[in-house]
Amino acid sequence: MWRSSASFILDKHLNNKPISITHSIDSPPPPSASMADENPNPNPISAYYETRAAHHGIVTSEWLEQAQAAVQRYPDRENSVSPVSGSPFSVIEEFNSWRQQPDLAEAVAAIRALAAVIRASEATTMMELEIELKKASDTLKAWDTTSISLTAGCDLFMRYVTRTSALEFEDFNSAKSRVLGRAEKFGEISCKARRVIAILSQDFIFDGCTILVHGFSRVVFEILKTSAQNKKLFRVLCTEGRPDKTGVLLAKELAKLDIPVKLLIDSAVAYSMDEVDMVFVGADGVVESGGIINMMGTYQIALVAHSMNKPVYVAAESYKFARLYPLDQKDLEPALRPNDFNVPVPPKVEVERSARDYTPPQYLTLLFTDLGVLTPSVVSDELIQLYL
Amino acid sequence: MPDVQSMVAEFVNKLRKRKIEGSQATAKCTVELLRSVISHQRVPHANQAAALIDAVKAVGQQLVAANPVELAVGNVVRRVLHIIREEDLSLTTAAMAGLDLLDASDDDDIDNCKGIGYPAMSAAVVAAAARSTLRPPSLQTLLEGTPESATVPYTSSSGADSESKTADKSSLTRKLKHDVIEGVNQLIQEISGCHEQIAEQAIEHIHQNEVILTLGSSRTVLEFLCAAKEKKRSFRVFVAEGAPRYQGHLLAKELVARGLQTTVITDSAVFAMISRVNMVIIGAHAVMANGGVIGPVGVNMAALAAKKHAVPFVVLAGSHKLCPLYPHNPEVLLNELRSPSELLDFGEFSDCLDFGAGSGSLQVVNPTFDYVPPNLVSLFITDTGGHNPSYMYRLIADYYSADDLVM
Repeated sequence: MWRSSASFILDKHLNNKPISITHSIDSPPPPSASMADENPNPNPISAYYETRAAHHGIVTSEWLEQAQAAVQRYPDRENSVSPVSGSPFSVIEEFNSWRQQPDLAEAVAAIRALAAVIRASEATTMMELEIELKKASDTLKAWDTTSISLTAGCDLFMRYVTRTSALEFEDFNSAKSRVLGRAEKFGEISCKARRVIAILSQDFIFDGCTILVHGFSRVVFEILKTSAQNKKLFRVLCTEGRPDKTGVLLAKELAKLDIPVKLLIDSAVAYSMDEVDMVFVGADGVVESGGIINMMGTYQIALVAHSMNKPVYVAAESYKFARLYPLDQKDLEPALRPNDFNVPVPPKVEVERSARDYTPPQYLTLLFTDLGVLTPSVVSDELIQLYL
Repeated sequence: MPDVQSMVAEFVNKLRKRKIEGSQATAKCTVELLRSVISHQRVPHANQAAALIDAVKAVGQQLVAANPVELAVGNVVRRVLHIIREEDLSLTTAAMAGLDLLDASDDDDIDNCKGIGYPAMSAAVVAAAARSTLRPPSLQTLLEGTPESATVPYTSSSGADSESKTADKSSLTRKLKHDVIEGVNQLIQEISGCHEQIAEQAIEHIHQNEVILTLGSSRTVLEFLCAAKEKKRSFRVFVAEGAPRYQGHLLAKELVARGLQTTVITDSAVFAMISRVNMVIIGAHAVMANGGVIGPVGVNMAALAAKKHAVPFVVLAGSHKLCPLYPHNPEVLLNELRSPSELLDFGEFSDCLDFGAGSGSLQVVNPTFDYVPPNLVSLFITDTGGHNPSYMYRLIADYYSADDLVM
């Protein structure tokens, strides 16, 4: 990458020019508002993190402006999404209505929305139905190009639901109802995935252990909640999770369950690592190599844990398995997030605003998924079986 | 039947008192016991596989509870259950294929079948769907409805009844048991022959003028080294004595009797000698699903030494040692503490020892096993060949069914 060489100085000059050009283009990248006039940095903000922020009620002024701009944009989108039949069904609308529930994962909302597309479809042949689904799936994916679980969920849905072995019927209606059945089943499985994962991981939490968690993963929270309900005695160290402060929220929720919690700043992880027995993290996506993509800071924690021989356990539902193979940190689609430093940033200073990082598989011990307990090397096997 | 009950009770007793030593002997006895259970079990006409599975599971639970540390017992019970499921599956798909051929020629049969509400799927599809129930859940098979495909073979067999194929049905009954017993016999042969299978691969791994390190005594390792010697490789062996039982001494004697140049060292000298060693070969007590190894106490130390000096650490394990469970606290849960008398003489130390009451406060801990995490192991050699630790999950998927993991 050019950044590792001194040529970045030259390139920066070149970069300053295109800003004025994007000014005039109505920027297509869906997740962003074109803030070129107000903000010198035109890069897109990840809508995924906006959603999470919205759930937790964290509102920054930047976010508000973007939200306003986005609301103005959505009516455009809905018109372009109207399906072949012309009825006012919009997959984005459906998706948004599912997304409002804070407990529901984004990918599951997408899966439910796609199932609704099948239900509302007026296609008369299998091919037509598939095309409709593909269009809806592409729209959903385009809503947030940076969310891996959304893309993976949509891809898996398309794969499952249109597998030909299930569709050896001459009658279209029974085929369609079968496809709908599979779609609903997939939605159900994805919803129940968290329960399954929580039950699987109970054995690994023993009495008197200290668990380190990073960020607010709903799967990990479910695991800890189940352990507390099973009357296990354990302690949780929670990283702050800057800049979202999601760690503080998790600490609040855990304290409500009477679990002893200790909050750490992100930099205190290495300092506290020797009193930790295991690390639990969630995942935004699980990639082909068996590594995970998760909130910024996960890679750091995994490195520290690995060097001190602490196991790192990942809790991820199976619909997060994505066909990606990042070779380094910069191989991911950039998902950016506004960083609030509490002080105004001096004008010439750059800010690293990426929201997530990639943790290679050699730093992970086990993955808990609804398919069972897996070692990282099993992930590629699973993906190959499904896609090839 | 009471005969079988008494056999089971006797075996449970032997396991509890740890009278049977070694995972191979335990595995063989367990399989033979299960074979008698199966052959004495009366099976109903419908759902016979389920009856067999229930019977084997009931006995299996008793056996595992008697000696939870001897993982070979649980492994072998699960293998037998997998065999039952597989034989059942192949029989029903054969029956289905037979049924389909008849349907094509006879109109009444087709009406009969459709009347039951049985969808017109080809036998291949049903076979594929049912086979997926045997494999562990994967992304690919996540949505293959398990109850659906399980009932399909049974409705087909009741369909066969209505077509007055009762003669065929009873032969099916006998066939399942017969096939299962055949499968079980094959398993016994596999367990007995695992040493030879593994020893055959010795020549590929041991080279001329190499120095091999081993710890304690393992029959598999002995056969492995001797097979290489037979093929005219000349090499040296360092044997760590394996305190407190000092079984390394026995192994050293055997090796010398077969003409190999052997050196005996103490366990503490492993780190000192490791730099002069080309390869470490160890026999395992059990191999877990993540590739971790349960071995005699001291192997973890040898593994760490080998890792530090970049010496390949090779583990020999027969397929009956492969356990489908993930270890979550193996040092405690999968370990056994033996009598302290092996370490200290009671007479000499009786005044210091902690007996609960009195003045002594000396405690003696004598663990039997050690856990080696998968990142320290370079290669597993099983009777099917050499494998990476991260590959073990594949072998588990081949040998075991997902439904049997929790007994």
